[in-house]
Amino acid sequence: MSDRFEKMLLAGVPMIFMLALFAVPSAIMLLASFRYPGEFGGLAPISEGRGLTLETYRFFFSDFIYTEVFIKSIAMAFLTTAFCLLLAYPLALMISRSPKRRRDVLVLLVILPFASNFLIRVYAWMILLGPQSALSKIINVFLGWFGAAHVQLLFSPFAVLIAMVYAHLPFMVLPLYANLVRHDPLLLDAAQDLGADSWQRFWRVTFPLSLPGVYSGSALVFIPALGMFVIPEILGGTRDMLIGNLIKEQFLVARDWPFGSALAIMLTLSVMLIAWIAGRMGARHA
Amino acid sequence: MRYLLLLLLSFSVHAEDLLHLYNWNNYISDRTIERFEKECSCRVVQDYYSDNEEMLAKLAAGAKGYDLIVPTGNAVESLIRQHALRPLDKSKLPNLVNISSRFMNTWFDPGNVYSVPYAYTITLIGYNSEKMKELGLPLDSWAVIFEPRYLEKIKGRVTVLDSQRELIAAALIYLGYSANDTSEKHWKEARDLILRAKPYWAAFNASSYIRELAIGEIWLVHGYSNDIFQADQDAKAAGRKFRILASLPREGAVLALDSMVMPISGPRPDLALRFIDFMLEGKNSAELTNLIGSGNPNKAAMRYILPEIADNPAVFPKDTKNLEMLRDLDYRQRRVLSRIWTEIKLK
Amino acid sequence: MHRLWAASVFLFLYLPLVVVVVYSFNDSRLNAEWVGFTLGWYRELLRDGDMLKAAGNSLAVAFISSLISTLLGTMAGIAIQRYRLRFLNFLVMAPVAMPEILVGVSLLLFYIQLMDMSLGMLTVVLAHVAFSVGFVAVVVRVSVASLDERLFEAARDLGASPFEVFRRITFPLILPGIIAGFLMAFTLSIDDFVITFFTAGVGFQTLPLRIYSMIKISVTPEVNAVSTLLMMLTLFLTLVAMRLAPDALKGKA
Repeated sequence: MSDRFEKMLLAGVPMIFMLALFAVPSAIMLLASFRYPGEFGGLAPISEGRGLTLETYRFFFSDFIYTEVFIKSIAMAFLTTAFCLLLAYPLALMISRSPKRRRDVLVLLVILPFASNFLIRVYAWMILLGPQSALSKIINVFLGWFGAAHVQLLFSPFAVLIAMVYAHLPFMVLPLYANLVRHDPLLLDAAQDLGADSWQRFWRVTFPLSLPGVYSGSALVFIPALGMFVIPEILGGTRDMLIGNLIKEQFLVARDWPFGSALAIMLTLSVMLIAWIAGRMGARHA
Repeated sequence: MRYLLLLLLSFSVHAEDLLHLYNWNNYISDRTIERFEKECSCRVVQDYYSDNEEMLAKLAAGAKGYDLIVPTGNAVESLIRQHALRPLDKSKLPNLVNISSRFMNTWFDPGNVYSVPYAYTITLIGYNSEKMKELGLPLDSWAVIFEPRYLEKIKGRVTVLDSQRELIAAALIYLGYSANDTSEKHWKEARDLILRAKPYWAAFNASSYIRELAIGEIWLVHGYSNDIFQADQDAKAAGRKFRILASLPREGAVLALDSMVMPISGPRPDLALRFIDFMLEGKNSAELTNLIGSGNPNKAAMRYILPEIADNPAVFPKDTKNLEMLRDLDYRQRRVLSRIWTEIKLK
Repeated sequence: MHRLWAASVFLFLYLPLVVVVVYSFNDSRLNAEWVGFTLGWYRELLRDGDMLKAAGNSLAVAFISSLISTLLGTMAGIAIQRYRLRFLNFLVMAPVAMPEILVGVSLLLFYIQLMDMSLGMLTVVLAHVAFSVGFVAVVVRVSVASLDERLFEAARDLGASPFEVFRRITFPLILPGIIAGFLMAFTLSIDDFVITFFTAGVGFQTLPLRIYSMIKISVTPEVNAVSTLLMMLTLFLTLVAMRLAPDALKGKA
C-alpha cells in the first residue's frame, strides 16, 4: 500500500507539473504548425474560414535548403558534444577521485564561471579570439612558420565551436561526475591485483561503468547545442546559420509562427531519432 | 495617528502612479526621466527591447500593460492594422506643433491618429577615417559595400547588418530599385549581389560593430547612423587617432522613424499623453539626440542640439528625398524573403 | 597525466572569466584593451538601481526555481529509474530537446490565452522549473542507477519504512547527483534570456534581460562588474550553505 503511495507521489507530482507546464503549451505549438500565420504576426484566427493546413510542412520539404541547415547544425552539435566529452571526462574523473572534502569545492569551481552572465562570457571570448589577442598572435606566428596564410579566429566557425564547447561543458562534467563518484574503488583495486595496468583498468572497468554518465551528459550537451542561436549570431561570420537561428528568425523576424513551430517539431523529431539510434548502438555495446 | 494614516495613503497613491514605458534600451536620457517624474509626481518603469520584432512577438502573444511603446514605422503600421493602438487625444498634446511637417502624416499613420514622431535613424555607411583616406575608396555609394573591386582592398574588415530587411534594402537601392520593392525577381538579384560580396565581409553583425569600429578592427560598415555616432564617441573617448564617420550614399538609404504610440491595454493613457507632450518639448527631445546622435523630427529641439550633431549631414541630411521608410511585408512575402535570407546565410 | 589535462580544462574554464573580472576594473568603455585601473564601473553599478534590482531578481528566480526543479527532478529521476516510466521520462526530457524560443512562446500563449495569468515573477519561475527539471532528473537517474538494490531489500527486511529508506539510504547516496542537478538548474536559470524574455511581465527585469537589451549600444564594463559581483555572491552563498548544511553536504556521502 505505502509502496503504491510512494510511486504515485514520486511519479505523480512531477508528471502533473510537466503535463501542465510542458505538454499543454507544446500542444498549442504543435497545433500552431498546422495553422496559417497571422497577417501581422502571431497566428491567423481559426474562425476566418482558414482552418488547418499542411502547407507549412510542404514548404519545409519542398526545398532542400532547410534540410541542409539541419545537417549542418547536427554536425556542429555533434562536434560540440565530442569536444565536451574529451575535455570533461578527465576533469570529472579527477574530481570524483579527489578526497571527499575537496570534491564539492571542485564541483563548485566548475560551475562558478557560469554564475556570471552568458553574454558577458561570450564577449570575453570575443576579446580572447580577437586579432589583437595573444592567442590569435601565437597561432598566426605558428602558422607563419609553416608558410600558412594568416587566419582570423573571430567571426569564424572555429570561434563558434570554441564558445559552444565552453558554454555546454558543465552539462557534461556534472552528469559524468555524478556517475563516476559512485564507482566502487575496490573494483579498480581488484583489477590491479589481477595485473591490469592503468590503461586497461580505465578501458575495461571505469569507462564501461561510466557509460550511463556519458550518455546522459552527451544528451544534455547535444540537445541544447542543437538549438543554440546566440553564439553563432555573435561570434559567427557570414556562414554560420544553425537551426536555432532559423527558428528564432521565424518568430522574431519573419513573424511566421507556423513555420517556426514546424521547424521546432522537426528538430524535436530528429533529436528523438538520434536518441533512438544512439540507444540502439548503446544496447549493442552493453 | 491620523496624520500617519494620511501619509501612508499618500504613499500608496504615489505608488499607484506608474507609467510603463516599453522602449529601446538607452533611448531616453536618465535626466529626462527624472524631470518628468518630478513634474507628474509619478514613476516611470521601463522595460526594454532591442528589436521591433521582439516587441511585436511579445504583444502578438498577448502581453499587456504597457502604456507607451516606441516602435519603428512599419511596426506602427502593423500595430494599427491589428487595432492594438489607442487614438491620441490631440487636445492634450499642445506641443505637437513642434514636429516638422516632413515627419507628420506618414503613410503608416495618415493624419497621425495614433502616433507621434520621436526620433529617427538612417541606415548608411560608417567608416574609419584614416584607413579610408589611405585606401581612397569611394564612400558616397553602396558600391563600396557590394563591389568586389573595392572590397578586395578591405577584405575581412567589413561588416553588414544582420537584418534581412536592411541588407536586402541596401542591395535593392544599389541596384536602382526601391527599398520597398517586393518583386521576387528583384530580391533574387539582390541576393546574387550579396552572395558575390559576402566572401569579403567579416560578418553579419547587429551587435558588436560599434565596438569593432571604435577599436579599429573593422573599417567599413553598413549600419545605423546613431551607432556610428556612438562608435565615434567611443573612439574619441579611448583616444584613438582616427574618427568614425558616416556617409550617406547618393543612391539613397533607409530611414527609420520611431514614434510614440499607446497600446490599448495600457492602464494609464492619461500619464502616457502627458509623457508624449513632455517629450515633444524641444529641450527634452534634444537631450536624446545629444545622448545618442539620433535624428530629431522636432523643430523646437534644434537650438538645444550640440552643433557637431546638428551640422552632421549623416544625422540631419539636407535632402530627405531619396530616403525611404520600410513598409511591412505580408506573410507570404515574409516567407519568401526568409527563404532567400536562409540561402544567403548558408552559402 | 589526466591531472594535467584536468588542470588545463580548468584553465579553459577560467580564461574568459579572468577577462570578465579584469575588465571590470578597466578604465575604458570599450572593453578592448587594458587602459588603466578604476573602480568607476563598480561605483556606477552601485548607483544603478535598476541593474542591481535586476541582479537581485535573477538571484531570487534562480534560487527558487532551482530548488523546485531539484525537488521535482529528484522525484522524477528516482521514479523513472525505479519504475521504468518511459512516458514520464519523455515528459521531463522533451523540454530539453525543445528550442528555448519555442518553450518561451508556447508558455506565453499558455499563460495568457489559456490561464489568463498576469506575467511576473511567478510565471518566470514556473517556466524555469519546466525546462530545468529534465536536467536534474537525468543526473539523479544516473546516480540512482548505480545503487545496489540489495541495500533497499536489506533495509526493508529490517523493517524500515519507505520514507526511512529514502532518508537514511537513498538520499545520502544520490546526494552528489542531486547537488550536481541543483547546480545545473541554477546556472540554467540565472543565465536564461529567451524563455525569460517571453514569460516576464511588465516591470519585471532579470539581469540577462537587461544585458541583452544593451547588446545594441555595446555592453559596458558595468556589466562585467555586476557579473563579477554576482559570481562572488554565488560563491559566498554556496560556501555558507556548505558550512551550515549537515555533514552529508560536505561530501560524506
